[in-house]
Amino acid sequence: MTRQARVLLLFLYAFVTAWGATSWAGPAAAQAPGGRHVALELVAESDRPAPGGRVMLAFAAVPDKGWHAYWKNGGDAGIETQARWTLPAGTTAGPILYPVPGRLLIAGLMNYVYEGPFAWLVELRVPASARPGTRLPVRVTLDYLVCTEEICVPEKATLATDLTVGDGAVAPAARARFDAWRAALPRPLGADGRFALSGGRFRLAVPYPADAPAAGTDAYFYPLTGGALDYAAPQEVTRDGDRLVVETKAAATGAPTAAVEGVLALGPGRGFAVRASPGPVPAAAGSSGERAAGGVAPALLWPVLGAVLGGLLLNVMPCVFPILSLKALALARGGGADERAARTEALAYAAGVILVCVGLGALLLALRAGGSAAGWAFQLQEPRVVAGLMVLVLAIALNLAGLFELPTPAWAGGDTGHGVAGAFGTGALAAFVATPCTGPFMGAAMGAALVLPAGGALAVFAGLGLGIALPFLLLGFVPALRRRLPRPGPWLGTARRVLSVPMFLTALALAWVLARQAGADGVALGLSAALAAALGLWWAGRRQAGGRSGAWWPVAAAAVLVVAVVLPLKPEARAAERGAAGAEPFTEARLNALRAQGRPVFAYFTADWCLTCKVNEKAAIETTAVSDAFRAGNVAVLMGDWTDGDPAMGRFIERHNRAGVPLYLWYAPGRGPRVLPQVLTPAGLAGLPKENS
Amino acid sequence: MRAILPLLALAAVAPVSAQQVTGKPAGNFRLTDADGRQVTLSQFKGRPVVLEWNNPGCPFVKKHYDSGNMQRTQAAARRDGAVWLTVNSGAPGKQGYMTGAEAKAFVASAKATPTAYLLDPAGRVGRGYAAKTTPHLYLINAGGRLVYQGGIDDRPTADAADIKGARNHLLAALAEVKAGKPVSVPETRPYGCSVKYAG
Repeated sequence: MTRQARVLLLFLYAFVTAWGATSWAGPAAAQAPGGRHVALELVAESDRPAPGGRVMLAFAAVPDKGWHAYWKNGGDAGIETQARWTLPAGTTAGPILYPVPGRLLIAGLMNYVYEGPFAWLVELRVPASARPGTRLPVRVTLDYLVCTEEICVPEKATLATDLTVGDGAVAPAARARFDAWRAALPRPLGADGRFALSGGRFRLAVPYPADAPAAGTDAYFYPLTGGALDYAAPQEVTRDGDRLVVETKAAATGAPTAAVEGVLALGPGRGFAVRASPGPVPAAAGSSGERAAGGVAPALLWPVLGAVLGGLLLNVMPCVFPILSLKALALARGGGADERAARTEALAYAAGVILVCVGLGALLLALRAGGSAAGWAFQLQEPRVVAGLMVLVLAIALNLAGLFELPTPAWAGGDTGHGVAGAFGTGALAAFVATPCTGPFMGAAMGAALVLPAGGALAVFAGLGLGIALPFLLLGFVPALRRRLPRPGPWLGTARRVLSVPMFLTALALAWVLARQAGADGVALGLSAALAAALGLWWAGRRQAGGRSGAWWPVAAAAVLVVAVVLPLKPEARAAERGAAGAEPFTEARLNALRAQGRPVFAYFTADWCLTCKVNEKAAIETTAVSDAFRAGNVAVLMGDWTDGDPAMGRFIERHNRAGVPLYLWYAPGRGPRVLPQVLTPAGLAGLPKENS
Repeated sequence: MRAILPLLALAAVAPVSAQQVTGKPAGNFRLTDADGRQVTLSQFKGRPVVLEWNNPGCPFVKKHYDSGNMQRTQAAARRDGAVWLTVNSGAPGKQGYMTGAEAKAFVASAKATPTAYLLDPAGRVGRGYAAKTTPHLYLINAGGRLVYQGGIDDRPTADAADIKGARNHLLAALAEVKAGKPVSVPETRPYGCSVKYAG
């Protein structure tokens, strides 16, 4: 290329991009002809906004082919769009709402851009004092940057629209157009994430349910906060149970300390607004990044302490108490004479409990990592496990009742109750049998544990085990306590018989769980298995009493029978896959109809990607206490599924001053909605129907 | 052929390793200036050095040159004994690329007073300093340490009317360095057009 040609090109370029009438390039430069490279139009969703209402405005934009406009954070280059409003007194405009952008990597520099038609949205508030019929002239000057891969032009657009205060009516065409634009905005995730910066890596963990679908390769985190991550570096997104983990190169300059905000996109035009605070983040799968060491201990302290306390409480539950009390008495039989043996036994028991708790926890995490929607006491979602547990609990109850004796070191305070293996076995059994009781009790705490990194979650499970083992550990290590226990005597036999009652009751409760899961046929199968086991044990007991050898073969036969009966058990197909018992899909029409009937209504809004929602549903809404209370109070339950971001539902949610899910509404008969807290408790929900009666 | 010569000259440049870290010694480099002379960073040791990434066609660069803000900043820095190196990392064929003659013409017409206008068509120094935008400014103190990197001021717009009332980060950093104080705002987000690198 000759020098002249290049100079000519330079001048031509200056001509195209000239901003203002003067330029160093001299007289050849002038104002760009034809104006803008982005066609812009200011439109209102309603031309007749109501007094005291809100109306959505859109800067509908269509960039010229080859040109792009910028997201709020332009990436390595670009600037933020500025709007200067001229509005009637009392009318205010909110911040610009940006749709989920796209990426454009040019020569190693990242740009967060819009290359196709898009809309920036702004909410306008009309004062309550505005009189219907008043004209509302809306004027705005928009400064924004538009670029090609080569050149950038800062453009200025002065736009206007005239509204009239009216009834807020929205034409169907405008609604459809705005709903499409709204759908492109990021939705608030409803739960905070965690980020960690270490070793030159930026890692972000975003709460996201393990069973929610996610686009694998398209996932990308657009940061709004600067100085956190290197925009141009590739991002690695992996799923880790109830989290999405984003890992990339940290930014070389600056470091955010308080929070990182941004948008997690899971496919074109689909994203979630994310806010993350510093905290532990597991390394992305397959990466060599080390876990951030700092801050782990304090973050874990409370969940672990809570789990220890919960485990401690479990000792008085009907499924654990009999085992523990008899074991304790067996220990007391030593009378504190053999200090060493008591300690060893206590430790073995604790080891058994903790190992089973951690084992169940690890299995749970593994299942979740595999993408299945397991929660704590997940094994109880499987009817075969419930049936098996029911038979086991029944067998324990029959043993306590004296139907048969165990020849091996007993796990339930038998005559030869000492020994490390025996104590370990008792602990393991106690922990496993305890899970049906932990379900309703520990659901929320365990749900919280699942949001922690794997190591932290396991620590919580271990804490639960430690809590269960704590009374026994105390007995083992404090002889004074042991001496306070009643002396063993003939009354112990009676106590054992009495303690069989809570075990029978536990078996009964499990039968009920089985009925809920597998229906009448399922519970009939389960009870048949229970009968087979009982008969086998009874027979074995008779043979024991008769002092015959080979007393156990009826048990073996019964066990085969039990397995044969339990194996075909399947969960009953449910009419609705999810939702509280009796919940109907939410529509405003249905809500109004129910309220017109004078029924109390509980409406809840959820989405597959909302972890807080899932935890609330499992721990509160879908508990039997709540469904019983709702049934008793004739409460209608409406469930709004916002997984796909239905705009009509989105507007309904917005009207309750929430940007997204979860949203819980309680309508007492004849009253307006009450917005319930974002963290629900079964007691709080179950108490609602009674409040007004 | 003319485009290849500077490339050949660049092949001899000591490679600048990675991105520069604020507070650490700034990576040395050697580039050819608009007059064809070799310029190295190390030759200015003992004096503060300002690096300014430049692309005269970029509206954000124009904001500061057409208003005279960049020239005033330059003059103030040089009055205080600082060296001012304007760097162009535009690649041949890309918008913003300039030959030495074109660069000299720009400097003359803008009445700018850099110590040198350096040509970096292969983008090695630009990438080595992670220069992202035009303008993008760096301040290296007399001890050779990088003490500031980022935008020229705190008004990320292309509107010259915004210069008045803005905080000129570079002048503030220069004043603090001169007073022997640590730079209070050592890093900011640069704003402008992307540097038109090769590739």
